[in-house]
Amino acid sequence: MKRIYIIEQLCNGCRLCETFCSSLSKGVFSGQAGRIRILKLAGEEKDIPMVNCDGTCIRSIFDDRRPTCVGLCPTGALYFAEHEQAVEVRRQYEEARKEHSIFKFLAPWRWPFPWRRPGEKKARSAEKEIE
Amino acid sequence: MRIRENRVQTVLRVDLSDGSFSKEELPEEWTGKYIGARGITSRLLYDEVKKGTDPYGPENILYIGTGPLDGLPVGMGRLSMACKSPRGTVAEGSAGGFFGPELRRAGYEYLAIKGKSDKPVYLYIENDNIEIRNASHLWGLSTYETDAALRFEIPDPDAQFRYIGPAAENLVHAATIMGNLNSCGGRAGCGEIMGSKKLKAIVVRGHNGIKPHDYDAFVDAYKVFRERVDIKTSRDMWTPVWNTYGAPVLSRLFPDLGNLMTRNAREMTWDAEKAINISSENFMDNYAYKAKACWCCPAPSCQKLYSVPSGKYKGFKGGNYWAGQPIALGSLIDNGNMDLMLVISGLCNQYGLDIFHIGFTLGWAMECFEEGILTKADTEGMELRFGTFDEDALVDLIGKIARKEGFGELLSLGCSEAAKRIGKGSDRFCLSVKGQELEAIAERNLLMVALGVAVSEVGPDHTRWYPPYPCNPSLITKDELSNLGIDLDLRLAFDTRNPAEKGKLLRWFTISRAIVEALPSCVFLVRDTLGLDLRPWWNLFKAATGFDLEYQELLKAGERLMNLDRLFNVREGFGRQDDRVPYRISHEDVPKFGYKKIDDNLLNPMLDEYYASNGWDLDTTVPSFAKLIELDLEDTVEDLWANGIKVK
Repeated sequence: MKRIYIIEQLCNGCRLCETFCSSLSKGVFSGQAGRIRILKLAGEEKDIPMVNCDGTCIRSIFDDRRPTCVGLCPTGALYFAEHEQAVEVRRQYEEARKEHSIFKFLAPWRWPFPWRRPGEKKARSAEKEIE
Repeated sequence: MRIRENRVQTVLRVDLSDGSFSKEELPEEWTGKYIGARGITSRLLYDEVKKGTDPYGPENILYIGTGPLDGLPVGMGRLSMACKSPRGTVAEGSAGGFFGPELRRAGYEYLAIKGKSDKPVYLYIENDNIEIRNASHLWGLSTYETDAALRFEIPDPDAQFRYIGPAAENLVHAATIMGNLNSCGGRAGCGEIMGSKKLKAIVVRGHNGIKPHDYDAFVDAYKVFRERVDIKTSRDMWTPVWNTYGAPVLSRLFPDLGNLMTRNAREMTWDAEKAINISSENFMDNYAYKAKACWCCPAPSCQKLYSVPSGKYKGFKGGNYWAGQPIALGSLIDNGNMDLMLVISGLCNQYGLDIFHIGFTLGWAMECFEEGILTKADTEGMELRFGTFDEDALVDLIGKIARKEGFGELLSLGCSEAAKRIGKGSDRFCLSVKGQELEAIAERNLLMVALGVAVSEVGPDHTRWYPPYPCNPSLITKDELSNLGIDLDLRLAFDTRNPAEKGKLLRWFTISRAIVEALPSCVFLVRDTLGLDLRPWWNLFKAATGFDLEYQELLKAGERLMNLDRLFNVREGFGRQDDRVPYRISHEDVPKFGYKKIDDNLLNPMLDEYYASNGWDLDTTVPSFAKLIELDLEDTVEDLWANGIKVK
């Protein structure tokens, strides 16, 4: 079953997911009623998305099967996948993070330009966006 | 939970002298006429702070406010601040963070803080529960310490704060109002005014919800807007770079392009080695460890937290490394040491100082020292020379500036006041306009920037016309451009070193950015075609408020804001004589790159074009009677006449 998974290092604490989620049922942006909340800890140093949702979105604003919060996340800290796929994605991310400093802040599938791994001669295009 | 709509905006008036407060609803048509944020703070400031008010007196009012789109996920938490500046002009600033939406959820759009407290206080707002609390235990603490102390005192983790550091308490020039540790704003004088009112902090917590008028239309408009600014779909080549690496990527390009103000702008190029050392690639690889964002921003990592990994300052932590630092704290004082620059930048945040004030004033002091105007007796034995200064002494000096101690007292005045005190021709080295230091964008090669710096009502301020480049004009056809209200020859206008069309171009930039700031939203998101085509913002505004505003009416609202700022300055006695560029920019060429000095022969035609296209008088810059009627600002005419200003 597909669920929402998080990469907590990538979350920048913008609260876009939380704010939009709270509006989906009644059209009121409050942040309180969202099924995803951002926990802010340790003087702005930790932002942790806390998902209380099985991934069946009340209303997906992007007209596909992706939950709204996943489609909106600017850094790619949220992704929607099966369990095995999720482990694989996380492993890919940990690798990419070592290879280029930009992926400390951004998921590789959110970067629009081609990039090259050390030792590779050919530039690779951005990986296909996972759901 | 109450539900708030966006048509009617509310002001909370607080008088610190007697501790009273009242709530006032603004007329509904003001939302269509002035939009919000900067628009309404400008209007209230013009109406309520009369000519000749003492900036540090109790009659000066500090406005902090947001607008109809904040609290909805396009507001980016922008916060507008306005008051009368200690320099006599209008002071306006905007800042990001999380405070704005929380203020709207608490039930208010604007705070109008009047009066003066005898002892330090902070303002606590939780929905209708408003308290003025004692802040003696916070007075004198740095911004980071204040944040920690308030978090301890107010257990609600969602409460948002704005506070000032020791610099603003001591009324240091250009002190800022800080929040969320590293979001700062109000360098034009708002921090000093907040300090003079002995208001250490504002705490706000709200529990209401915000409802757009038409949710479906709002979501559709949001998707169009998001497509323009998202790094994957934006058609602007800078969007991905800016929103991940940040503007310091330019310090690698600028030495070759001649855009890098070096050694107090004596030169426009720097050693490539030093420039690469302070570029954002180095920063991203070795210093940054966490991305941060303002509220609901679609840019993934515009701000970053950093820590210094090794060396003398190992373990120093701070936040934000943006366009200003590599120039103001790097090339301008010839400092190629990234560690030192990040430490100074972090200390500026902790003390609540403005980095441009620090950078340009240090640059001025170093040049004065090299020219023999300042001696070791003045600088308490410091060798203030470009590139060869004592690093520890420089770090100490930042603290001394914030506390106004010793030599720091002179520098805390800002370079233009300091030059007046020292004399001996030192004002030749001072890069400031209307008492306010320049910013990191070079002038002599970008004539629109030079004009923008000269005419800006608050002194040099990049948010008035940022970004200063065409946002892909080829994506919009010529017919469409004329429908959008742009009657410019774009080829001439974006020819950076040709003075033609610059006045009209700046007029368009000022109006469009004023609208973005009034909604409010972030000028750093004016990407793709959003700089020329404001229809995505317009659709968002219509969906959020339900105002059926014509597009031309929106543009007119932007023009109204621009005119209100000018009217405030005109009433205080500012005019064409104050719209100047600094001495160095107007008297020295840059032969290496072929840049001409911007002297009167070059500046005057641009000024004439700007004033004429705005419908302002060419000598006094007073908006004409016809223009004020056109903008529905005829109620200001009587006030202007009463203050002895002739409106033609």
